[in-house]
Amino acid sequence: MSLESSRHAQWPLPQGVVDLVYADAVNKRGLETALRACFHAWSYDELISPTFEYADTLASEAGTQLAEEMYRFTDRDGRTLALRPDLTIPAARVVATRLADQPMPLRLFYVGSVFRYEAPQAGRQREFTQAGVELIGAGTPAADAELLALTVEALQAAGLGQFQLALGQMAFFRGLLAELEAPAPVLSALQSAIDRKNPADLAAVLDQATASEPLRRAFSALPQLNGGPQVLQQGRAVCVNPAMQAALHWLDALVELLAAYGIVHHITFDLGETRGMAYYTGITFKGYTPGLGSSVCSGGRYDDLVGHFGRPQPAVGCALWVDRILLARQRQGWQPASLAPDLLWTAGACSDCLRLLLSLRRRGLRVELDVTGADLEALSRRATSQGTPYVVECRGAGAVALRSQQGTRRLTLDELAAEAAAW
Amino acid sequence: MVDVLELAAGNRTDSGQLVIALPKGRLLDEARAYLERAGFGLRDGENGRQLVLPSAAAHVRYVLAKPSDVPVYVEYGACDLGIAGLDVLREAQRDLLEPLLLPFGHCRLSVAGPAGRADRPLRLEPNPRVATKFPRLTEAFFRARGVSAEIIELSGSVELAPLVDLADLIVDLVQSGQTLADNGLAELRVILHSQAVLVANRAAWRLKAEAISGFVAKLRRTIEE
Repeated sequence: MSLESSRHAQWPLPQGVVDLVYADAVNKRGLETALRACFHAWSYDELISPTFEYADTLASEAGTQLAEEMYRFTDRDGRTLALRPDLTIPAARVVATRLADQPMPLRLFYVGSVFRYEAPQAGRQREFTQAGVELIGAGTPAADAELLALTVEALQAAGLGQFQLALGQMAFFRGLLAELEAPAPVLSALQSAIDRKNPADLAAVLDQATASEPLRRAFSALPQLNGGPQVLQQGRAVCVNPAMQAALHWLDALVELLAAYGIVHHITFDLGETRGMAYYTGITFKGYTPGLGSSVCSGGRYDDLVGHFGRPQPAVGCALWVDRILLARQRQGWQPASLAPDLLWTAGACSDCLRLLLSLRRRGLRVELDVTGADLEALSRRATSQGTPYVVECRGAGAVALRSQQGTRRLTLDELAAEAAAW
Repeated sequence: MVDVLELAAGNRTDSGQLVIALPKGRLLDEARAYLERAGFGLRDGENGRQLVLPSAAAHVRYVLAKPSDVPVYVEYGACDLGIAGLDVLREAQRDLLEPLLLPFGHCRLSVAGPAGRADRPLRLEPNPRVATKFPRLTEAFFRARGVSAEIIELSGSVELAPLVDLADLIVDLVQSGQTLADNGLAELRVILHSQAVLVANRAAWRLKAEAISGFVAKLRRTIEE
């Protein structure tokens, strides 16, 4: 084993975290910047919340699975803290407390790391970045439509051309579930069978729950109720109560708005979409793009979450999984910008050279000054291997040698400044 | 090699192309016969050693994988669909859709022990040593009965373990029970009734909805016939 590899073994990283450097770091920051700009243009304001909070705050509404996946540790006063597993819960806390008297609706966005102790599964890290938006204080289909349209816009801004959002309606499913009197384990087995679209398991659970014939028909239809907007029409046939009808009416209004935004072709309706955060109460959605087997974003309506922390507010939000988008984009052939400097310069202590070099940097050129005493030949070899187009060597008295694809030429600093203006 | 690279690129960009993982071994012959009847029969490569095979339908290609790897290929989206035994699927606990049970590969995942074992409930075993290729399902089965079993994970010939006193019990697939009987073992409890299942990747289900629903519909019709 070489010395280098034994050092890696001596200072390993915990599972599920990564170092990003060079193009990987630039791509990630670039994506975050593009998403921030998109959210900003839709009049959303950034919320920067703490990385850790009291575990009770984060766990209270997170649902058991998320609560189990939290990294917990103890403060010096003995209280249990946790790294945030999600950014929606902190947002809900802030809105219900510090921002409770602000005029509604509020539009907030965030970009940050979240932490989950997850079993290693496809594409999952334990620290990963979410960029998301929350529209709070508007319980209308128009708010849902804005969120979906913004999600489509954000995925496009992220550089994804082809993607589908699978749109479900938790209120429809909960409306149906309310009709069935069965113990909790049976209900969760039922939800799992529908989520896996497994007709045989579904039939077995319905036997166990001794469901009536109309309920049986309704539950058995759920895994098939996915596709275009015609699904809503098919859903009407299985409605057994006003709550389910209201849930479909909501989607009817939503479809009309999505058509106005011109994004219906990005939406797959799925009334059998029953998973997602425990706090979802209305629409839920997940986004999929070629090259990745798991979702790149997920969102939904959570009308009861804010009220848990103070004054209740209806709300809808979406989180984009930045790291997964980066992976998908790369697999779709995304070409990252080159990181090679535009210009290598060996100048010694020449103040005229340094002045011009600084002004070029201020104009945005990426200029690297040699600090090792290398000559033009040595710098040129480096430039060729890393793809830097220009090399400059100070020749004193306001003169330089410029090496480029056209060969080596002698120029005055003024001539160089004029030429560099076109780079 | 070129074919493989082209496979990966085409699978990502062309929403009409389907790549399907098939399990080598026990299920393969029945899966082949069944797909043949549905109009998606495999076309063998020239040398019989290729791992990526074309089918009778231009838009469908197959990948032959180790059975326990099929759920992995599909969860990651390397394959859009796959055929796996329910036993392998429940053991793997991958996040997949399971839209169709297929009418072959029936067997049981069972607890077995020496034929002369005293007849008493498994939950009275204090700390049985159990040899298996299915550690998760085995542990879940014993845990649900309050028994802390010592799971001994093996990768083949599990029925050998009680003979050489490596284990008190085994958990393994049983078809006719003949292998158990030949080794002086008896089936004690059924953990799971298994059969072949069509599994689907969640992203492909949305992105290749038309191609997948067409494929699933044909398979379903073949079952009903």
